[in-house]
Amino acid sequence: MHSADAPAPIRRPAARGFRNRQTRDEAVWAYALIAPMLIGFAVFFLIALGASLVLSFTEWRIIESPSWIGLANYRELVRDPQFRTALVNTVAITVPHVFFRLVIALALAIALNSRIRFRAFYRLLFFLPTVTMPVAIGTIWKWLYDPAFGPINSTLRRLGLPAPEWLAHRGTAIVAVVIVLLWSGIGYDMIIFLAGLQAIPRIFYEAASIDGASGWQQFRDITLPLLTPTTFFLSVIGIIYSLQVFDLVYVMTRIDQTNRLPTVVYLIYDEGFRTFRMGYAIAIAWTLLAIILVFTLIQFRLQKRWVNYE
Amino acid sequence: MNVSSGPQHRRLIGRLALHAVLLSVGILFMLPFLWSISTSLKSMSELFSVQPNLIPKKLRWDNYQAVFDNAPFLRFYINSIIVTIGRTIGQVAIASLAGFAFAQLRFPGRGVIFVGLLAGLMVPDQVLIVPRFVIMREFGWFDTYQGLIIPLIFSSFGVFLLRQYFLGIPRDFHEAAKLEGANPFQIYRDIYLPLARPALAAFGFLALLSSWNEFFWALTVTNQTEMRVLPVGIALFQGQYFTNNAIVMAAANMATFPLLLIFLFFQKQLVEGVAISGLK
Repeated sequence: MHSADAPAPIRRPAARGFRNRQTRDEAVWAYALIAPMLIGFAVFFLIALGASLVLSFTEWRIIESPSWIGLANYRELVRDPQFRTALVNTVAITVPHVFFRLVIALALAIALNSRIRFRAFYRLLFFLPTVTMPVAIGTIWKWLYDPAFGPINSTLRRLGLPAPEWLAHRGTAIVAVVIVLLWSGIGYDMIIFLAGLQAIPRIFYEAASIDGASGWQQFRDITLPLLTPTTFFLSVIGIIYSLQVFDLVYVMTRIDQTNRLPTVVYLIYDEGFRTFRMGYAIAIAWTLLAIILVFTLIQFRLQKRWVNYE
Repeated sequence: MNVSSGPQHRRLIGRLALHAVLLSVGILFMLPFLWSISTSLKSMSELFSVQPNLIPKKLRWDNYQAVFDNAPFLRFYINSIIVTIGRTIGQVAIASLAGFAFAQLRFPGRGVIFVGLLAGLMVPDQVLIVPRFVIMREFGWFDTYQGLIIPLIFSSFGVFLLRQYFLGIPRDFHEAAKLEGANPFQIYRDIYLPLARPALAAFGFLALLSSWNEFFWALTVTNQTEMRVLPVGIALFQGQYFTNNAIVMAAANMATFPLLLIFLFFQKQLVEGVAISGLK
Protein backbone atom coordinates (compact mmCIF):
# COMPACT_ATOMS: atom_id res chain seq x y z
CA MET A 1 0.00 0.00 0.00
CA HIS A 2 2.71 2.47 0.88
CA SER A 3 5.74 2.97 -1.26
CA ALA A 4 8.98 3.06 0.59
CA ASP A 5 9.53 6.80 0.16
CA ALA A 6 6.14 8.48 0.01
CA PRO A 7 4.78 9.64 3.35
CA ALA A 8 1.41 8.20 4.22
CA PRO A 9 -1.46 10.71 3.96
CA ILE A 10 -2.68 11.94 7.31
CA ARG A 11 -6.09 10.46 7.88
CA ARG A 12 -8.11 12.32 10.41
CA PRO A 13 -11.60 11.23 11.31
CA ALA A 14 -12.58 14.88 11.46
CA ALA A 15 -12.10 15.28 7.70
CA ARG A 16 -15.16 13.07 7.23
CA GLY A 17 -15.44 12.08 3.62
CA PHE A 18 -12.76 14.37 2.23
CA ARG A 19 -9.41 13.08 1.21
CA ASN A 20 -7.65 15.14 3.81
CA ARG A 21 -8.15 18.18 5.94
CA GLN A 22 -6.74 20.47 3.31
CA THR A 23 -9.34 19.46 0.78
CA ARG A 24 -12.10 19.94 3.32
CA ASP A 25 -10.81 23.36 4.24
CA GLU A 26 -10.70 24.33 0.60
CA ALA A 27 -14.28 23.18 0.19
CA VAL A 28 -15.42 25.15 3.22
CA TRP A 29 -13.75 28.27 1.88
CA ALA A 30 -15.28 27.70 -1.51
CA TYR A 31 -18.77 27.48 -0.05
CA ALA A 32 -18.10 30.66 1.87
CA LEU A 33 -17.03 32.47 -1.27
CA ILE A 34 -20.05 31.38 -3.28
CA ALA A 35 -22.46 31.83 -0.39
CA PRO A 36 -23.53 35.40 -1.20
CA MET A 37 -24.30 34.41 -4.78
CA LEU A 38 -26.12 31.26 -3.72
CA ILE A 39 -28.21 32.97 -1.07
CA GLY A 40 -29.24 35.75 -3.38
CA PHE A 41 -29.88 33.31 -6.18
CA ALA A 42 -31.98 31.14 -3.91
CA VAL A 43 -34.14 34.01 -2.71
CA PHE A 44 -34.45 36.18 -5.78
CA PHE A 45 -34.43 33.49 -8.39
CA LEU A 46 -35.34 30.02 -7.17
CA ILE A 47 -37.99 31.01 -4.65
CA ALA A 48 -39.24 33.75 -6.92
CA LEU A 49 -39.42 31.33 -9.83
CA GLY A 50 -41.37 28.74 -7.85
CA ALA A 51 -43.75 31.36 -6.51
CA SER A 52 -44.16 32.79 -9.97
CA LEU A 53 -45.15 29.46 -11.44
CA VAL A 54 -47.69 28.77 -8.73
CA LEU A 55 -49.08 32.29 -8.82
CA SER A 56 -49.69 32.07 -12.55
CA PHE A 57 -52.52 29.69 -11.73
CA THR A 58 -54.18 32.09 -9.33
CA GLU A 59 -56.29 35.18 -9.43
CA TRP A 60 -54.66 37.69 -7.17
CA ARG A 61 -55.59 41.29 -6.71
CA ILE A 62 -52.97 42.02 -4.04
CA ILE A 63 -55.40 43.28 -1.41
CA GLU A 64 -56.85 39.83 -0.88
CA SER A 65 -55.04 36.52 -0.86
CA PRO A 66 -54.53 34.62 -4.09
CA SER A 67 -57.24 32.20 -5.14
CA TRP A 68 -56.58 29.14 -7.23
CA ILE A 69 -58.14 29.24 -10.68
CA GLY A 70 -56.14 26.66 -12.57
CA LEU A 71 -55.57 27.43 -16.23
CA ALA A 72 -58.11 30.25 -16.34
CA ASN A 73 -55.47 32.95 -16.74
CA TYR A 74 -53.99 31.23 -19.74
CA ARG A 75 -57.37 30.64 -21.28
CA GLU A 76 -58.21 34.30 -20.84
CA LEU A 77 -54.88 35.27 -22.36
CA VAL A 78 -55.59 33.44 -25.56
CA ARG A 79 -58.84 35.29 -26.05
CA ASP A 80 -57.66 38.68 -24.78
CA PRO A 81 -57.58 41.23 -27.63
CA GLN A 82 -55.13 43.37 -25.67
CA PHE A 83 -52.69 40.49 -25.47
CA ARG A 84 -53.11 39.73 -29.14
CA THR A 85 -52.41 43.34 -30.03
CA ALA A 86 -49.36 43.48 -27.81
CA LEU A 87 -48.03 40.22 -29.20
CA VAL A 88 -48.52 41.27 -32.80
CA ASN A 89 -46.84 44.59 -32.09
CA THR A 90 -43.90 42.90 -30.41
CA VAL A 91 -43.34 40.38 -33.19
CA ALA A 92 -43.86 43.06 -35.84
CA ILE A 93 -41.07 45.00 -34.20
CA THR A 94 -38.81 42.01 -33.65
CA VAL A 95 -38.63 40.55 -37.14
CA PRO A 96 -37.56 43.61 -39.16
CA HIS A 97 -35.41 44.86 -36.30
CA VAL A 98 -33.28 41.73 -36.03
CA PHE A 99 -33.08 41.18 -39.77
CA PHE A 100 -31.93 44.67 -40.71
CA ARG A 101 -29.75 44.89 -37.66
CA LEU A 102 -27.70 41.88 -38.77
CA VAL A 103 -27.46 43.04 -42.37
CA ILE A 104 -26.48 46.63 -41.65
CA ALA A 105 -24.12 45.75 -38.80
CA LEU A 106 -22.36 43.24 -41.02
CA ALA A 107 -22.02 45.78 -43.81
CA LEU A 108 -20.55 48.31 -41.40
CA ALA A 109 -18.21 45.74 -39.91
CA ILE A 110 -16.92 44.78 -43.35
CA ALA A 111 -16.42 48.42 -44.20
CA LEU A 112 -14.50 48.97 -40.99
CA ASN A 113 -12.48 45.80 -41.39
CA SER A 114 -10.68 47.07 -44.45
CA ARG A 115 -7.51 48.80 -43.49
CA ILE A 116 -8.79 52.35 -43.38
CA ARG A 117 -7.64 55.13 -41.20
CA PHE A 118 -9.79 56.51 -38.39
CA ARG A 119 -11.26 53.07 -37.84
CA ALA A 120 -11.35 53.63 -34.09
CA PHE A 121 -13.20 56.89 -34.64
CA TYR A 122 -15.93 55.28 -36.74
CA ARG A 123 -16.17 52.37 -34.32
CA LEU A 124 -16.77 54.80 -31.51
CA LEU A 125 -19.31 56.75 -33.52
CA PHE A 126 -21.50 53.77 -34.27
CA PHE A 127 -21.20 52.36 -30.78
CA LEU A 128 -22.21 55.51 -28.90
CA PRO A 129 -25.97 54.96 -29.08
CA THR A 130 -25.46 51.58 -27.44
CA VAL A 131 -24.25 53.19 -24.22
CA THR A 132 -27.06 55.71 -24.17
CA MET A 133 -29.98 55.38 -21.78
CA PRO A 134 -32.96 53.85 -23.61
CA VAL A 135 -35.41 56.18 -21.84
CA ALA A 136 -33.35 59.13 -23.03
CA ILE A 137 -33.19 57.65 -26.54
CA GLY A 138 -36.96 57.28 -26.59
CA THR A 139 -37.35 60.83 -25.34
CA ILE A 140 -35.02 62.28 -27.95
CA TRP A 141 -36.48 60.37 -30.85
CA LYS A 142 -40.01 61.17 -29.74
CA TRP A 143 -39.11 64.78 -30.39
CA LEU A 144 -37.40 63.95 -33.67
CA TYR A 145 -40.61 62.28 -34.81
CA ASP A 146 -42.81 65.15 -33.63
CA PRO A 147 -45.32 65.55 -36.47
CA ALA A 148 -45.44 69.34 -36.40
CA PHE A 149 -42.07 70.55 -35.17
CA GLY A 150 -39.70 67.63 -35.41
CA PRO A 151 -36.80 67.66 -37.90
CA ILE A 152 -37.79 64.39 -39.55
CA ASN A 153 -41.15 65.62 -40.72
CA SER A 154 -39.89 69.08 -41.58
CA THR A 155 -37.23 67.50 -43.78
CA LEU A 156 -39.81 65.23 -45.39
CA ARG A 157 -42.05 68.20 -46.07
CA ARG A 158 -39.17 70.12 -47.56
CA LEU A 159 -38.58 67.20 -49.91
CA GLY A 160 -42.23 67.08 -50.82
CA LEU A 161 -42.68 63.67 -49.21
CA PRO A 162 -45.56 62.63 -46.93
CA ALA A 163 -44.99 63.54 -43.31
CA PRO A 164 -47.23 61.27 -41.20
CA GLU A 165 -47.96 61.36 -37.49
CA TRP A 166 -45.36 58.72 -36.90
CA LEU A 167 -46.05 57.65 -33.35
CA ALA A 168 -49.79 58.07 -33.35
CA HIS A 169 -50.68 55.24 -35.70
CA ARG A 170 -49.69 51.64 -35.27
CA GLY A 171 -48.15 50.97 -38.70
CA THR A 172 -45.93 54.03 -38.81
CA ALA A 173 -45.15 53.67 -35.12
CA ILE A 174 -43.75 50.21 -35.74
CA VAL A 175 -41.53 51.54 -38.52
CA ALA A 176 -40.43 54.43 -36.32
CA VAL A 177 -39.61 52.15 -33.39
CA VAL A 178 -37.67 49.69 -35.55
CA ILE A 179 -35.55 52.54 -36.89
CA VAL A 180 -34.75 53.70 -33.37
CA LEU A 181 -33.93 50.18 -32.20
CA LEU A 182 -31.63 49.78 -35.18
CA TRP A 183 -29.93 53.07 -34.42
CA SER A 184 -29.33 52.10 -30.83
CA GLY A 185 -28.35 48.49 -31.34
CA ILE A 186 -26.31 48.25 -34.54
CA GLY A 187 -23.08 49.36 -32.89
CA TYR A 188 -23.04 46.34 -30.61
CA ASP A 189 -23.60 43.83 -33.41
CA MET A 190 -21.00 45.61 -35.49
CA ILE A 191 -18.34 45.19 -32.82
CA ILE A 192 -19.07 41.48 -32.52
CA PHE A 193 -19.04 41.05 -36.28
CA LEU A 194 -15.73 42.89 -36.43
CA ALA A 195 -14.24 40.48 -33.95
CA GLY A 196 -15.57 37.58 -35.98
CA LEU A 197 -14.20 39.04 -39.21
CA GLN A 198 -10.81 39.56 -37.72
CA ALA A 199 -10.72 35.95 -36.65
CA ILE A 200 -10.83 34.82 -40.29
CA PRO A 201 -7.27 34.09 -41.42
CA ARG A 202 -6.20 36.39 -44.18
CA ILE A 203 -4.63 33.41 -45.95
CA PHE A 204 -8.07 32.31 -47.11
CA TYR A 205 -8.64 35.56 -48.94
CA GLU A 206 -5.15 35.63 -50.39
CA ALA A 207 -5.50 32.12 -51.70
CA ALA A 208 -8.87 32.98 -53.20
CA SER A 209 -7.44 36.06 -54.89
CA ILE A 210 -4.69 34.01 -56.42
CA ASP A 211 -7.35 31.66 -57.75
CA GLY A 212 -9.05 34.65 -59.35
CA ALA A 213 -12.09 34.89 -57.09
CA SER A 214 -13.84 38.27 -57.10
CA GLY A 215 -14.59 40.27 -53.98
CA TRP A 216 -18.21 39.20 -54.04
CA GLN A 217 -17.30 35.54 -54.44
CA GLN A 218 -14.86 35.79 -51.57
CA PHE A 219 -17.56 37.31 -49.44
CA ARG A 220 -20.08 34.65 -50.35
CA ASP A 221 -17.79 31.65 -50.07
CA ILE A 222 -15.39 32.63 -47.29
CA THR A 223 -16.75 35.43 -45.16
CA LEU A 224 -20.39 34.43 -44.87
CA PRO A 225 -19.88 30.77 -44.06
CA LEU A 226 -17.19 31.50 -41.49
CA LEU A 227 -19.36 34.15 -39.87
CA THR A 228 -22.35 31.90 -39.37
CA PRO A 229 -21.61 31.15 -35.69
CA THR A 230 -21.40 34.88 -34.96
CA THR A 231 -24.55 35.55 -36.97
CA PHE A 232 -26.35 32.79 -35.14
CA PHE A 233 -25.32 34.14 -31.74
CA LEU A 234 -26.39 37.68 -32.63
CA SER A 235 -29.71 36.59 -34.05
CA VAL A 236 -30.54 34.55 -30.95
CA ILE A 237 -29.80 37.32 -28.49
CA GLY A 238 -31.30 39.90 -30.85
CA ILE A 239 -34.63 38.10 -30.91
CA ILE A 240 -34.60 37.47 -27.16
CA TYR A 241 -33.88 41.13 -26.52
CA SER A 242 -36.41 42.37 -29.03
CA LEU A 243 -39.27 40.29 -27.68
CA GLN A 244 -38.73 41.89 -24.27
CA VAL A 245 -38.58 45.50 -25.40
CA PHE A 246 -40.31 47.88 -23.00
CA ASP A 247 -38.86 51.16 -21.78
CA LEU A 248 -37.81 52.63 -25.10
CA VAL A 249 -41.12 51.88 -26.80
CA TYR A 250 -43.11 52.96 -23.75
CA VAL A 251 -41.47 56.38 -23.63
CA MET A 252 -41.82 56.94 -27.36
CA THR A 253 -45.38 55.83 -27.91
CA ARG A 254 -47.09 57.06 -24.79
CA ILE A 255 -49.15 59.98 -26.03
CA ASP A 256 -51.82 61.70 -23.94
CA GLN A 257 -51.89 59.01 -21.28
CA THR A 258 -52.54 56.20 -23.75
CA ASN A 259 -49.97 53.80 -25.07
CA ARG A 260 -50.22 53.73 -28.86
CA LEU A 261 -47.93 50.74 -29.31
CA PRO A 262 -48.23 48.38 -26.36
CA THR A 263 -45.73 45.54 -26.22
CA VAL A 264 -46.01 42.30 -24.28
CA VAL A 265 -43.81 43.48 -21.43
CA TYR A 266 -45.79 46.70 -21.23
CA LEU A 267 -48.91 44.59 -20.80
CA ILE A 268 -47.25 42.66 -17.98
CA TYR A 269 -46.48 45.92 -16.24
CA ASP A 270 -49.93 47.31 -16.89
CA GLU A 271 -51.85 44.25 -15.68
CA GLY A 272 -49.57 43.71 -12.71
CA PHE A 273 -48.97 47.17 -11.38
CA ARG A 274 -51.78 49.31 -12.69
CA THR A 275 -54.80 47.06 -12.66
CA PHE A 276 -53.08 44.91 -10.01
CA ARG A 277 -54.11 41.58 -11.47
CA MET A 278 -50.94 39.87 -10.39
CA GLY A 279 -51.83 36.31 -11.34
CA TYR A 280 -52.79 37.35 -14.85
CA ALA A 281 -49.67 39.41 -15.31
CA ILE A 282 -47.50 36.46 -14.30
CA ALA A 283 -49.34 34.24 -16.73
CA ILE A 284 -48.53 36.70 -19.52
CA ALA A 285 -44.89 36.64 -18.44
CA TRP A 286 -44.76 32.84 -18.59
CA THR A 287 -46.36 32.91 -22.00
CA LEU A 288 -43.69 35.32 -23.15
CA LEU A 289 -41.06 32.98 -21.77
CA ALA A 290 -42.62 30.12 -23.69
CA ILE A 291 -42.62 32.17 -26.89
CA ILE A 292 -38.97 33.09 -26.40
CA LEU A 293 -38.12 29.44 -25.80
CA VAL A 294 -39.92 28.39 -28.96
CA PHE A 295 -38.12 31.00 -31.06
CA THR A 296 -34.79 29.99 -29.54
CA LEU A 297 -35.37 26.28 -29.97
CA ILE A 298 -36.35 26.77 -33.60
CA GLN A 299 -33.14 28.69 -34.16
CA PHE A 300 -31.07 26.01 -32.48
CA ARG A 301 -32.71 23.37 -34.63
CA LEU A 302 -32.13 25.36 -37.80
CA GLN A 303 -28.53 26.04 -36.94
CA LYS A 304 -27.53 22.55 -37.97
CA ARG A 305 -28.56 23.49 -41.48
CA TRP A 306 -26.64 26.65 -41.90
CA VAL A 307 -24.07 27.22 -39.15
CA ASN A 308 -20.54 25.97 -39.73
CA TYR A 309 -18.35 25.30 -36.79
CA GLU A 310 -14.72 24.66 -37.53
CA MET B 1 4.91 54.32 -57.53
CA ASN B 2 2.95 56.48 -59.89
CA VAL B 3 -0.43 57.31 -58.42
CA SER B 4 -2.14 57.58 -61.72
CA SER B 5 -1.34 54.00 -62.72
CA GLY B 6 -4.56 52.03 -63.17
CA PRO B 7 -5.00 49.81 -60.06
CA GLN B 8 -3.55 52.42 -57.70
CA HIS B 9 -5.98 54.96 -58.99
CA ARG B 10 -8.94 52.66 -58.57
CA ARG B 11 -7.88 51.72 -55.06
CA LEU B 12 -7.58 55.37 -54.06
CA ILE B 13 -11.03 56.21 -55.40
CA GLY B 14 -12.41 53.10 -53.70
CA ARG B 15 -10.90 54.18 -50.43
CA LEU B 16 -12.24 57.72 -50.77
CA ALA B 17 -15.68 56.39 -51.63
CA LEU B 18 -15.60 54.19 -48.54
CA HIS B 19 -14.70 57.14 -46.36
CA ALA B 20 -17.44 59.21 -47.96
CA VAL B 21 -20.04 56.54 -47.26
CA LEU B 22 -18.83 55.92 -43.71
CA LEU B 23 -18.68 59.60 -42.95
CA SER B 24 -22.19 60.27 -44.21
CA VAL B 25 -23.61 57.32 -42.31
CA GLY B 26 -21.63 58.47 -39.30
CA ILE B 27 -23.00 61.98 -39.50
CA LEU B 28 -26.52 60.63 -39.89
CA PHE B 29 -25.85 58.53 -36.83
CA MET B 30 -24.77 61.51 -34.80
CA LEU B 31 -27.68 63.67 -35.88
CA PRO B 32 -30.03 62.59 -33.08
CA PHE B 33 -27.40 63.53 -30.49
CA LEU B 34 -26.64 66.80 -32.24
CA TRP B 35 -30.31 67.55 -32.56
CA SER B 36 -30.92 66.78 -28.93
CA ILE B 37 -28.18 69.18 -27.84
CA SER B 38 -29.38 71.81 -30.24
CA THR B 39 -32.99 71.50 -29.13
CA SER B 40 -32.01 71.72 -25.48
CA LEU B 41 -30.52 75.14 -26.12
CA LYS B 42 -33.46 76.61 -27.98
CA SER B 43 -35.97 79.15 -26.76
CA MET B 44 -39.68 78.39 -26.84
CA SER B 45 -40.25 80.37 -29.99
CA GLU B 46 -37.49 78.60 -31.88
CA LEU B 47 -38.80 75.29 -30.66
CA PHE B 48 -42.16 75.70 -32.29
CA SER B 49 -40.96 76.78 -35.68
CA VAL B 50 -42.14 74.62 -38.52
CA GLN B 51 -38.74 74.81 -40.20
CA PRO B 52 -36.36 73.99 -37.35
CA ASN B 53 -32.69 74.76 -37.67
CA LEU B 54 -29.87 72.71 -36.31
CA ILE B 55 -28.10 75.68 -34.82
CA PRO B 56 -30.19 77.81 -32.47
CA LYS B 57 -30.01 81.54 -32.94
CA LYS B 58 -29.59 82.17 -29.24
CA LEU B 59 -28.13 79.65 -26.83
CA ARG B 60 -30.46 79.26 -23.90
CA TRP B 61 -28.21 77.62 -21.31
CA ASP B 62 -30.81 78.43 -18.69
CA ASN B 63 -32.88 75.52 -19.99
CA TYR B 64 -30.48 73.27 -18.13
CA GLN B 65 -31.02 75.19 -14.93
CA ALA B 66 -34.76 74.99 -15.54
CA VAL B 67 -34.55 71.20 -15.38
CA PHE B 68 -33.42 71.42 -11.77
CA ASP B 69 -35.88 74.18 -10.98
CA ASN B 70 -38.94 72.44 -12.36
CA ALA B 71 -38.36 68.92 -11.11
CA PRO B 72 -36.58 67.06 -8.30
CA PHE B 73 -33.97 66.25 -10.89
CA LEU B 74 -31.05 66.49 -8.50
CA ARG B 75 -32.81 63.94 -6.31
CA PHE B 76 -33.23 61.61 -9.29
CA TYR B 77 -29.57 62.05 -10.15
CA ILE B 78 -28.34 61.32 -6.66
CA ASN B 79 -30.58 58.29 -6.40
CA SER B 80 -29.28 56.99 -9.69
CA ILE B 81 -25.69 57.47 -8.60
CA ILE B 82 -26.20 55.71 -5.28
CA VAL B 83 -28.12 52.84 -6.78
CA THR B 84 -25.72 52.39 -9.68
CA ILE B 85 -22.62 52.38 -7.51
CA GLY B 86 -24.29 49.97 -5.09
CA ARG B 87 -25.37 47.57 -7.78
CA THR B 88 -22.06 47.69 -9.65
CA ILE B 89 -19.90 47.06 -6.61
CA GLY B 90 -22.30 44.37 -5.45
CA GLN B 91 -22.34 42.58 -8.79
CA VAL B 92 -18.59 42.72 -9.29
CA ALA B 93 -17.79 41.61 -5.74
CA ILE B 94 -20.25 38.72 -5.62
CA ALA B 95 -19.60 37.50 -9.15
CA SER B 96 -15.82 37.66 -8.81
CA LEU B 97 -15.86 35.78 -5.50
CA ALA B 98 -18.04 33.07 -6.95
CA GLY B 99 -16.27 33.02 -10.29
CA PHE B 100 -12.93 32.56 -8.56
CA ALA B 101 -14.28 29.75 -6.41
CA PHE B 102 -15.80 27.91 -9.36
CA ALA B 103 -12.65 28.30 -11.41
CA GLN B 104 -9.85 27.69 -8.95
CA LEU B 105 -11.22 25.82 -5.96
CA ARG B 106 -12.41 22.25 -5.71
CA PHE B 107 -15.50 21.33 -3.78
CA PRO B 108 -18.30 18.83 -4.01
CA GLY B 109 -21.21 19.87 -6.20
CA ARG B 110 -19.17 22.46 -8.03
CA GLY B 111 -20.34 21.46 -11.48
CA VAL B 112 -23.99 21.02 -10.60
CA ILE B 113 -24.26 24.28 -8.71
CA PHE B 114 -22.60 26.19 -11.53
CA VAL B 115 -24.93 24.77 -14.16
CA GLY B 116 -27.82 25.59 -11.83
CA LEU B 117 -26.70 29.21 -11.71
CA LEU B 118 -26.57 29.31 -15.49
CA ALA B 119 -30.26 28.48 -15.57
CA GLY B 120 -30.71 32.00 -14.24
CA LEU B 121 -29.63 33.33 -17.60
CA MET B 122 -32.45 31.60 -19.40
CA VAL B 123 -35.32 33.11 -17.47
CA PRO B 124 -36.35 36.67 -18.35
CA ASP B 125 -36.91 39.14 -15.54
CA GLN B 126 -40.61 39.71 -16.19
CA VAL B 127 -41.44 36.22 -14.94
CA LEU B 128 -39.82 37.04 -11.60
CA ILE B 129 -40.87 40.61 -11.12
CA VAL B 130 -44.15 40.03 -9.32
CA PRO B 131 -42.73 37.56 -6.75
CA ARG B 132 -39.79 39.88 -6.20
CA PHE B 133 -42.28 42.68 -5.66
CA VAL B 134 -43.99 40.55 -3.03
CA ILE B 135 -40.66 39.73 -1.37
CA MET B 136 -39.96 43.45 -1.18
CA ARG B 137 -43.29 43.90 0.52
CA GLU B 138 -42.43 41.21 3.06
CA PHE B 139 -39.02 42.73 3.76
CA GLY B 140 -40.45 46.24 3.89
CA TRP B 141 -38.04 47.34 1.19
CA PHE B 142 -40.35 49.49 -0.95
CA ASP B 143 -38.94 52.94 -1.61
CA THR B 144 -35.58 52.03 -0.13
CA TYR B 145 -32.09 51.90 -1.54
CA GLN B 146 -31.65 48.29 -0.48
CA GLY B 147 -34.80 47.42 -2.37
CA LEU B 148 -33.38 49.02 -5.47
CA ILE B 149 -29.91 47.56 -5.12
CA ILE B 150 -29.91 44.16 -3.49
CA PRO B 151 -32.24 42.12 -5.69
CA LEU B 152 -30.12 43.07 -8.69
CA ILE B 153 -26.63 42.20 -7.48
CA PHE B 154 -26.75 38.48 -8.18
CA SER B 155 -25.54 38.16 -11.72
CA SER B 156 -25.23 34.67 -13.18
CA PHE B 157 -23.77 36.29 -16.27
CA GLY B 158 -21.06 37.84 -14.14
CA VAL B 159 -20.23 34.55 -12.48
CA PHE B 160 -20.00 32.91 -15.89
CA LEU B 161 -17.82 35.64 -17.38
CA LEU B 162 -15.42 35.91 -14.47
CA ARG B 163 -15.14 32.16 -14.00
CA GLN B 164 -14.19 31.98 -17.66
CA TYR B 165 -11.46 34.52 -17.11
CA PHE B 166 -10.18 32.97 -13.88
CA LEU B 167 -9.96 29.60 -15.62
CA GLY B 168 -7.45 31.13 -17.95
CA ILE B 169 -5.09 32.11 -15.16
CA PRO B 170 -2.51 29.39 -14.42
CA ARG B 171 -2.85 27.44 -11.21
CA ASP B 172 0.81 27.98 -10.42
CA PHE B 173 0.08 31.19 -8.55
CA HIS B 174 -2.55 29.40 -6.58
CA GLU B 175 -0.31 26.44 -5.72
CA ALA B 176 2.56 28.68 -4.70
CA ALA B 177 0.39 30.77 -2.45
CA LYS B 178 -1.20 27.69 -0.90
CA LEU B 179 2.23 26.36 0.01
CA GLU B 180 2.89 29.60 1.79
CA GLY B 181 -0.21 29.04 3.88
CA ALA B 182 -2.53 31.58 2.30
CA ASN B 183 -6.24 30.91 2.58
CA PRO B 184 -8.38 31.00 -0.56
CA PHE B 185 -9.79 34.43 0.19
CA GLN B 186 -6.29 35.89 0.47
CA ILE B 187 -5.32 34.17 -2.75
CA TYR B 188 -8.35 35.67 -4.40
CA ARG B 189 -7.77 39.14 -3.03
CA ASP B 190 -4.01 39.43 -3.41
CA ILE B 191 -3.27 37.45 -6.55
CA TYR B 192 -6.24 36.68 -8.76
CA LEU B 193 -8.24 39.85 -8.37
CA PRO B 194 -5.41 42.10 -9.57
CA LEU B 195 -4.71 39.72 -12.43
CA ALA B 196 -8.33 39.84 -13.52
CA ARG B 197 -8.44 43.57 -14.03
CA PRO B 198 -9.47 43.53 -17.73
CA ALA B 199 -12.38 41.19 -17.09
CA LEU B 200 -13.41 43.11 -13.99
CA ALA B 201 -13.29 46.38 -15.91
CA ALA B 202 -15.35 45.00 -18.78
CA PHE B 203 -17.94 43.41 -16.53
CA GLY B 204 -17.91 46.40 -14.21
CA PHE B 205 -18.74 48.72 -17.07
CA LEU B 206 -21.54 46.46 -18.31
CA ALA B 207 -22.92 46.37 -14.77
CA LEU B 208 -22.59 50.14 -14.52
CA LEU B 209 -24.36 50.67 -17.82
CA SER B 210 -27.27 48.33 -17.14
CA SER B 211 -27.70 49.66 -13.61
CA TRP B 212 -27.77 53.29 -14.72
CA ASN B 213 -30.30 52.57 -17.46
CA GLU B 214 -32.43 50.10 -15.54
CA PHE B 215 -36.12 50.95 -15.69
CA PHE B 216 -38.58 48.17 -14.95
CA TRP B 217 -37.42 47.18 -11.47
CA ALA B 218 -36.94 50.79 -10.35
CA LEU B 219 -40.41 51.56 -11.60
CA THR B 220 -41.83 48.62 -9.65
CA VAL B 221 -40.10 48.98 -6.32
CA THR B 222 -40.39 52.75 -5.86
CA ASN B 223 -43.47 54.88 -5.52
CA GLN B 224 -42.45 58.05 -3.77
CA THR B 225 -41.06 60.71 -6.04
CA GLU B 226 -38.03 61.24 -3.83
CA MET B 227 -36.87 57.69 -4.42
CA ARG B 228 -37.22 57.64 -8.18
CA VAL B 229 -34.14 57.18 -10.33
CA LEU B 230 -33.33 59.06 -13.53
CA PRO B 231 -34.89 56.78 -16.16
CA VAL B 232 -38.15 56.56 -14.23
CA GLY B 233 -38.16 60.26 -13.44
CA ILE B 234 -37.66 61.24 -17.04
CA ALA B 235 -40.19 58.75 -18.36
CA LEU B 236 -43.00 59.56 -15.96
CA PHE B 237 -42.68 63.25 -15.45
CA GLN B 238 -42.27 64.65 -18.89
CA GLY B 239 -45.66 66.21 -19.07
CA GLN B 240 -45.77 67.19 -15.45
CA TYR B 241 -42.50 68.98 -14.91
CA PHE B 242 -41.03 69.71 -18.25
CA THR B 243 -43.39 72.07 -19.89
CA ASN B 244 -41.33 72.64 -22.95
CA ASN B 245 -39.39 70.18 -25.03
CA ALA B 246 -36.13 72.06 -24.79
CA ILE B 247 -36.12 71.33 -21.09
CA VAL B 248 -37.03 67.69 -21.75
CA MET B 249 -34.07 67.40 -24.09
CA ALA B 250 -31.81 69.01 -21.52
CA ALA B 251 -32.92 66.45 -18.95
CA ALA B 252 -32.35 63.57 -21.39
CA ASN B 253 -28.88 64.86 -22.23
CA MET B 254 -27.86 65.22 -18.62
CA ALA B 255 -28.99 61.66 -17.99
CA THR B 256 -26.80 60.25 -20.72
CA PHE B 257 -23.66 62.39 -20.35
CA PRO B 258 -22.00 60.53 -17.46
CA LEU B 259 -22.06 57.14 -19.13
CA LEU B 260 -20.94 58.62 -22.43
CA LEU B 261 -18.01 60.27 -20.69
CA ILE B 262 -17.02 57.11 -18.84
CA PHE B 263 -17.25 55.19 -22.06
CA LEU B 264 -15.14 57.70 -23.96
CA PHE B 265 -12.40 57.44 -21.36
CA PHE B 266 -12.28 53.67 -21.21
CA GLN B 267 -13.44 52.78 -24.67
CA LYS B 268 -10.53 50.68 -25.78
CA GLN B 269 -10.75 48.25 -22.88
CA LEU B 270 -14.51 48.22 -22.97
CA VAL B 271 -14.93 47.52 -26.63
CA GLU B 272 -12.46 44.68 -26.33
CA GLY B 273 -14.37 43.36 -23.36
CA VAL B 274 -17.61 43.40 -25.34
CA ALA B 275 -15.97 41.56 -28.21
CA ILE B 276 -14.53 38.92 -25.89
CA SER B 277 -17.82 38.32 -24.18
CA GLY B 278 -19.53 38.02 -27.53
CA LEU B 279 -17.11 35.48 -28.87
CA LYS B 280 -17.56 33.16 -25.92
